[in-house]
Amino acid sequence: MFKIHFRFFSVMEERSSIVKTPLNNVLAQRRSNSYRRSMRSCVEATNLGYTSGHLTALRIPRSRRTPKSRDITKQVDPDQVALLVTKEWELSYVTPLYQFRHTQLKSYSKHLSAFIVSEKQQGLAIEVGQELGFKVNFSVVLGLAETDEDAETVFIQILSRQAFAAKDDAQKVVWSGWLTCVNGDLEYLRSLPSEFVSLPLLCTRGPESLTVLVKSWFEKTFDCCFGPLGINSANLQWLAALWIGCHPNINIQYLKLVWTLPTLPPMDVKYTIHPQDAWELWHSVRQDDTTDVSIEEVTRFIKGLQSHFFRHFRIELSAGSLMQVSTALGSSHHSGKIKIASPTYITTILQLLTECALLKMPI
Amino acid sequence: MDDSTKRILQRLIRRIPYQMLQKMLGKWAHLSNEDLHSLDFTQPKWVLTEHLLAFCEEKGLTVKHITELEMIYIIENPNQGMWHGFQLLDAEEEAPSIELTQFKEQFKANLTELIRHVSIKIKKHTDEAIWIRVAWGDNFTKPNHLKPTYVVHHLQTPYVFVTGLTSKYKPLLNQALVLATRYGSMKDAHLSGRNLIAIRDLLTRQYQQVFPTKHPKPLQEKNPVPRNPNIENEQAENTENRLQMACEAFGDGTLPQLQKAVYKLETKFRDNSNKTLTGREEPFRGVVEFASTNLLESLRHCVSSGMASTPVTPLLSSITQKGRNYFVITDKGV
Repeated sequence: MFKIHFRFFSVMEERSSIVKTPLNNVLAQRRSNSYRRSMRSCVEATNLGYTSGHLTALRIPRSRRTPKSRDITKQVDPDQVALLVTKEWELSYVTPLYQFRHTQLKSYSKHLSAFIVSEKQQGLAIEVGQELGFKVNFSVVLGLAETDEDAETVFIQILSRQAFAAKDDAQKVVWSGWLTCVNGDLEYLRSLPSEFVSLPLLCTRGPESLTVLVKSWFEKTFDCCFGPLGINSANLQWLAALWIGCHPNINIQYLKLVWTLPTLPPMDVKYTIHPQDAWELWHSVRQDDTTDVSIEEVTRFIKGLQSHFFRHFRIELSAGSLMQVSTALGSSHHSGKIKIASPTYITTILQLLTECALLKMPI
Repeated sequence: MDDSTKRILQRLIRRIPYQMLQKMLGKWAHLSNEDLHSLDFTQPKWVLTEHLLAFCEEKGLTVKHITELEMIYIIENPNQGMWHGFQLLDAEEEAPSIELTQFKEQFKANLTELIRHVSIKIKKHTDEAIWIRVAWGDNFTKPNHLKPTYVVHHLQTPYVFVTGLTSKYKPLLNQALVLATRYGSMKDAHLSGRNLIAIRDLLTRQYQQVFPTKHPKPLQEKNPVPRNPNIENEQAENTENRLQMACEAFGDGTLPQLQKAVYKLETKFRDNSNKTLTGREEPFRGVVEFASTNLLESLRHCVSSGMASTPVTPLLSSITQKGRNYFVITDKGV
């Protein structure tokens, strides 16, 4: 269930954060009965999510535009694109950042590295061989933002230098992460006060200890909140439909779906389908290749596979949960892990994930 | 002792977990009791390895002796790596009466004839199983003791279990085994798993089987929940039926530990709600893999809990009935 953060309301006073969002009337006005009502419906309803204030309703779309393949390197520096693809990222959502400035990235780099070094040294004797320094690099990835309301993506890298390493030795990247917002809901983004920057999707990769430190620095500095973002079965199905739809243009090589059935002991069922056959099934459920993809089509596609499976094994796959979907273009896991192997449809995937993050956020 | 022998010994000691080391060395014939007592098993492993190397040098032990130690370890702990089952077919007249010495001689003779540089070790275990260790070389190189093949065979049964065999040497091993056991040929049983005992039990049907009866009695639970006479379980008959069918298909009690079952599907697409694709001539290709820590128990639970519809499809019950876990399914059948 949701853990609702009533930070702006009652907990503000108790929390010690470096930056406090103003308790002025602007926010107090928004917190009315409608807030409580909307929070309750947020917990109950699955189709609608309400956000603060103007009761902007974030609806889960029942149809999506057919993704068009696009050469993202025309918009984004190919070196930066290379940083994002072919790696597996762990997803989190983050609430809007208070007074985050894209112009202050250098200062953020210094502060974060000092924070990490001091946290790591707390209570530890300095050992020989321990990493002497962490260097943090904040950078902007221009071009991923789709609309005017999207904030530019911020990429963070933590490099470390071993003791006794020569000054010119290349430092090793030990952790990387990026905050992004792609095609975020316009109404919601416009409703945010101007001091806030919304970059709701955080992708991280690296040791958990560093992830925790980065998150806690962000929480202290920008008064925001992080939470784990999983990819639910419906979104995994959207991703499967997205990838299978690409097949005529790019060979996806296989479509693999993994369900976990709640038997004792639990059993995984991995169904790997030949891409051409999967595409023909997808094509047969599509009304028309040019119209938007509807959720009914996606459901019919998955149900077709489950039914073919049932004819053979007489096992109801819907008794379990869809945990993983992967193709040569990328893979996604229920626990909130994503890997984008090819940059061609990166925008569509990030848009879907941004939407998930915005919906999962408690404010 | 040359460097390669030292390396083999070092690798082997590294592989054997510390707790088992004393026991294994105790079983090894080449260390006397005094030697064993003089080793301090509280020291770190690398110190122990140095001492053992020193002992072996002193006694002039060779690779042959070290591989004996490896064999002792593997026989005690066979569940490392993947075991594959094979079945011998077309028994000749003498097949059932082959004895151990005969088999040993024949196998060694055949294999050394087929490939010059090969190292063979045969040992009979207490449970009547014959264990064979083969290290392969070729015409110009010495046998590679770092990648041996292990074979387990029970005389008088047509089953052979193999681990660590590459496709290069498969035909040679096949031929030697077939000739030594006096069978016509050997085929892949399409059964593989990490647990040797499990696949052996599955192939030889040594688990608690349940046979269909005309008057099925509900299978008794070991610790039945005390029944309240005022509560009637509406679904009782259905539950009992499902449990009975699940046990008939997969067995009762503890089941052999199988990890995976793979089905390669080459059947036509079948779904009544999809008219377009159902008429398609070409098969709807795919591969289904079931995986679990104990697959048979998961499947049994799947049937008894209702996640799988009864009657149990022959595709699943073939795992136990035919003793295999790799299938290619076409429209004509398995």
